[in-house]
Amino acid sequence: MTAPRTAPSAARPGPLRASATRRAVLGAGAGTAATAGLSACSGFSTDASGGTSGDPDELTMITWASEAEVPAFEKLADDFAAAGGPRVRLQVVPYSQVLTAVDTALRTDSPPDLFRVSYTDVAAYRAQGVLADLPGAAELEPSFLPAFWNAVTDERGTFGVPHHTDTSMVLVNDEAVAAAGLTLPGTLERAWTWEEFADVLRRVQPTRADTYPVAVNWQNAGAFRWLDWVDQAGGRLLTEDLTGVVEDDPGMLKALSFTRDLFRQGWTPPNASTRGQAASDLFLNQTVALCFAGDFLLAEIDSGGFGYSATFLPRDVNASADLGGNALVAVEASDKRDAALDFLAFCAQAEQMGDFCAAATVLPTRSDVDAAALDWNVRPDLMELYVEQARAIRTPLVEQVVVPSFSAINTQLRDRLDEAFLGSADDRAALRDITEGVRSVVRA
Amino acid sequence: MRAPGAEAPASRRVPRTTPRTATRRPVRRWLTSYALLAPALVLFGLFVLYPLVQAVRISMTDSTGIGEARFTGLDNYARMVGDPVFWRAAGNTVLLALVSVPTSVATGFGLALLLRERLPARGLFRALFLAPYVLSGVVVAMAGRWIFDQEVGVVDRALTQLGLPAPDWQSSGAAAAVSVFVVLFWARTGLVVVLYLSALQGVDRDVLEAAELDGASRRQRVRYVTWPLLRPTTFFVVVLMVVEVFQTFDVVRVMTGGGPAGATEILVTYAYAQGFQARAEGYGSAIGVVVFSVVLLATVVAWWVQRDSEEVA
Repeated sequence: MTAPRTAPSAARPGPLRASATRRAVLGAGAGTAATAGLSACSGFSTDASGGTSGDPDELTMITWASEAEVPAFEKLADDFAAAGGPRVRLQVVPYSQVLTAVDTALRTDSPPDLFRVSYTDVAAYRAQGVLADLPGAAELEPSFLPAFWNAVTDERGTFGVPHHTDTSMVLVNDEAVAAAGLTLPGTLERAWTWEEFADVLRRVQPTRADTYPVAVNWQNAGAFRWLDWVDQAGGRLLTEDLTGVVEDDPGMLKALSFTRDLFRQGWTPPNASTRGQAASDLFLNQTVALCFAGDFLLAEIDSGGFGYSATFLPRDVNASADLGGNALVAVEASDKRDAALDFLAFCAQAEQMGDFCAAATVLPTRSDVDAAALDWNVRPDLMELYVEQARAIRTPLVEQVVVPSFSAINTQLRDRLDEAFLGSADDRAALRDITEGVRSVVRA
Repeated sequence: MRAPGAEAPASRRVPRTTPRTATRRPVRRWLTSYALLAPALVLFGLFVLYPLVQAVRISMTDSTGIGEARFTGLDNYARMVGDPVFWRAAGNTVLLALVSVPTSVATGFGLALLLRERLPARGLFRALFLAPYVLSGVVVAMAGRWIFDQEVGVVDRALTQLGLPAPDWQSSGAAAAVSVFVVLFWARTGLVVVLYLSALQGVDRDVLEAAELDGASRRQRVRYVTWPLLRPTTFFVVVLMVVEVFQTFDVVRVMTGGGPAGATEILVTYAYAQGFQARAEGYGSAIGVVVFSVVLLATVVAWWVQRDSEEVA
């Protein structure tokens, strides 16, 4: 047997070739990694990337917005630019992600110039010095309803403009009302008392075995709306100085007893508790004949294909309604803070606010905006009632829901109320659980 | 037989390496290895290690997610000890793992044995079993929510038609827990089936045939041959399923939101509620760190036990 001939060097997998192969692999890997990295930098969408714009002639605003609100915000931005201001670029994110988007941008030192925030969240940002003080606030203040102005104001200044409000009313299925022979109160003063409301619930007969008279809108971060009942009964959750929890408050006990009765009497579906299904969904699928709902839901409910009306929230010692709605705020750390504050002042003008509210089906916070004259897009007849209901938003309730730790309080309310509504403990014990839970998170 | 003259001279057989090149080679090999590993290490460091270290750091602060946070040492961990909701969530998580992991593993193994056979439309069955795992968890949970809706859900409608009691899936704690378990079982078992199917391909058919020739019944072959041979796969599947249970979030969040009355609250949903809804980011991170530690510890213990049993075997 002969020794094998030496193979031509070109076909031999020698060290030089192996090295070249490794280099090729490494080069390809580096190229791929760089491409992936650059792709990652661009994100899924540049519009949602957050942070202030590098363009000196452009402001960035993070907001969530319904289909109706997007064009309303765009019109505000266009009108501001037409009036000589910089462009405002909207970064529209889902409602559930807006706080995360804002917090992330703040934390990475790329804050937006402006953002939209609910009244119950303003204080958390205010307490951390994130928000810019509104110059000329004293001139604007007389034009605003006090409850909303107080939501963005403390002893150090006014940190944003109350852009709009919304509140709850009782929506009623026309067919169910007719069947029960009900007459709906037409004014706030003639709203049903709790006793009358309970009588109404007894009279509204379910049309099927799986239907119920009513659902209250305390789901989806709306647990604080239970405080409407407390305020209606003349009670308080937080002490006057807002640093503690009121012990054994009779109004709170009465409210808890009445709202637990909704479940105990079978007047509301068991799955309509604070962690349950949204009241408006149950109304839309006609599981309930009445539901508590904010005005911003009218566009959605209008698509339900059945007739419905609205009446005022029931009243006890007080007529009281929840503080809904949002403020617009400017960021103190923004390079374009002054221009951002100019935009806030622009949005706070009566004409701009009226146009926005009419387009977005929300309520104005200025007393000099004639809500009756607004050209509402959806159910103008009901929006007039909502405007009247908003008169029942009371300062004693507002000041309790705009404390810095309200997010934690709201979470405690959701969890403890869920246990109370579906549990069997007596009312006093259930109330103790609620107050202890809230006390654990209340901060001065 | 070697051809004459094919033997190379002794001087040419000795590798021409000097001490210097000998020391260079391991260094070069080391550099090459790490160069190849670098992309994975960078990604691991950036997306796993760094967030983990940050989570531990945040867990020792009173961070709310906004502004400066104050160092609070182990306060968040001390708070956890006295927090009944945390313990309830921990209990629910452990219970879910104890029930769902053995069920998924046993069912997955059984289905894999069936699918290994030459069934008609076997590929279709495999795809169907894996589909819920591939689908987004939110989509699966939305489907589960509608199926188990206590007012308009198909399950309650069917039970009512059959004259059976319809459970309150959203307002009864036990029923809500069962609905979550069923949807998780549906969503996760497909993966177990696929893992066992691929492992079954590696089982030596000669061994099975030998057992058959020795008179072992079908059941005995599965119990005494196949199952022991798949022990490494079972270990992997169990660890994976335990990790999946401890990471479960989407299904519970969408289906029950942790309710009713906290009956389906698990550690991750509770950490989310604290970190993002209650703005207690420090406390939420501390819960996350505890979840990570428990899963890590359980994995190490399981690996230890597995290794010992392998050595004994």
